[in-house]
Amino acid sequence: MRKRGGMKKYVERRLPSTFKIQITSMVDMFVILLVFLLKSYSTSPVNIPPSDKLTLPVSTALKDPVDVLKVIVSKDGIFVDEKEILKFNAKGEVEVTDLDANDTNFIRALYTELDHQAEKSKSIAKVNETVEFDGKVLMQADRAVPYALLRKVMYTSMLAGYSDVKIAVMMAE
Amino acid sequence: MRKFRHRESDATFELNLAPMLDIIVSIVPMLLLSVVFVRIAVVETPVPQAVQKAMEQAENKNEVQIQLSVSKETGFKIQIMQKGQTKDINVALKQDKELDLDSLHKQMITLKQQYPDVFKMELHPSEEVSLEKIVAVMDKVRNRSKDDPALYFTDSESGKKVETDLIFPDVVFGNVAGG
Repeated sequence: MRKRGGMKKYVERRLPSTFKIQITSMVDMFVILLVFLLKSYSTSPVNIPPSDKLTLPVSTALKDPVDVLKVIVSKDGIFVDEKEILKFNAKGEVEVTDLDANDTNFIRALYTELDHQAEKSKSIAKVNETVEFDGKVLMQADRAVPYALLRKVMYTSMLAGYSDVKIAVMMAE
Repeated sequence: MRKFRHRESDATFELNLAPMLDIIVSIVPMLLLSVVFVRIAVVETPVPQAVQKAMEQAENKNEVQIQLSVSKETGFKIQIMQKGQTKDINVALKQDKELDLDSLHKQMITLKQQYPDVFKMELHPSEEVSLEKIVAVMDKVRNRSKDDPALYFTDSESGKKVETDLIFPDVVFGNVAGG
């Protein structure tokens, strides 16, 4: 019997065999990764790709962002829903030619775009009863932007019908 | 001896983790796409329309109105307007010429204790003040911190005193349209 058992083992060792990969540690790692990703999972309508031209200010505000028209004021220029409206000059200011001659707080290109967006929303609201034009706008502005420029943007959006301005901020840890 | 060896081989078995790994591998890229490392919030700052502002002023002639002016050169200036009379409170800059946010916060707590039923404040930043400073000022004006004394306001319906963490949560930019 002993001899036969020894022979069997010898034959098993010589045969080409399948082997198993030890994946237990890999599964452990993935589970940890999964928990971390689930924790930082977000369905927020506002997504801001990291950029050195747009760093939001930090605030203790806790109100969740809403999905409304976005006006982005970066160090380079002004964007409406990611469409570039105007570029700033080397000093990071609005060129005088982009402003109205009689009203220096009025940015013409921004008004044209916002007015177009407002008209679009209003025409959708006429057809679809669930949509309502409420004049809300989410302003994502760089933290170094001076109030002089913010004021121009807010003033222009107010004239275009967007008077409910919401400022996007980074939640403090 | 033989019996013991047999039982030992029965007791150990390997879990088949391959299907679990398959699921995790397909979930991880999906979650990686929607992962957010920076959490975004919003600060509400409705711009007062000229007509609406005039109407409010006509309605609330006897009510208290608080204005906060922010300047990098002179610091904070709080104006309290009540029944046609104006009272000014100044909060100077710190020694390093920075805005004294802590003193402003203390001043706001004192003001809230004096005027518990006022929740609105008009913010008048000067042109050179950055958005970062404006948001910091709004944070100091909006909520009380843990170390501050308790704040109460009178509920208009029940007439009872209700504790609140809010100081002046309704901050609006007063000088967008003019001034």
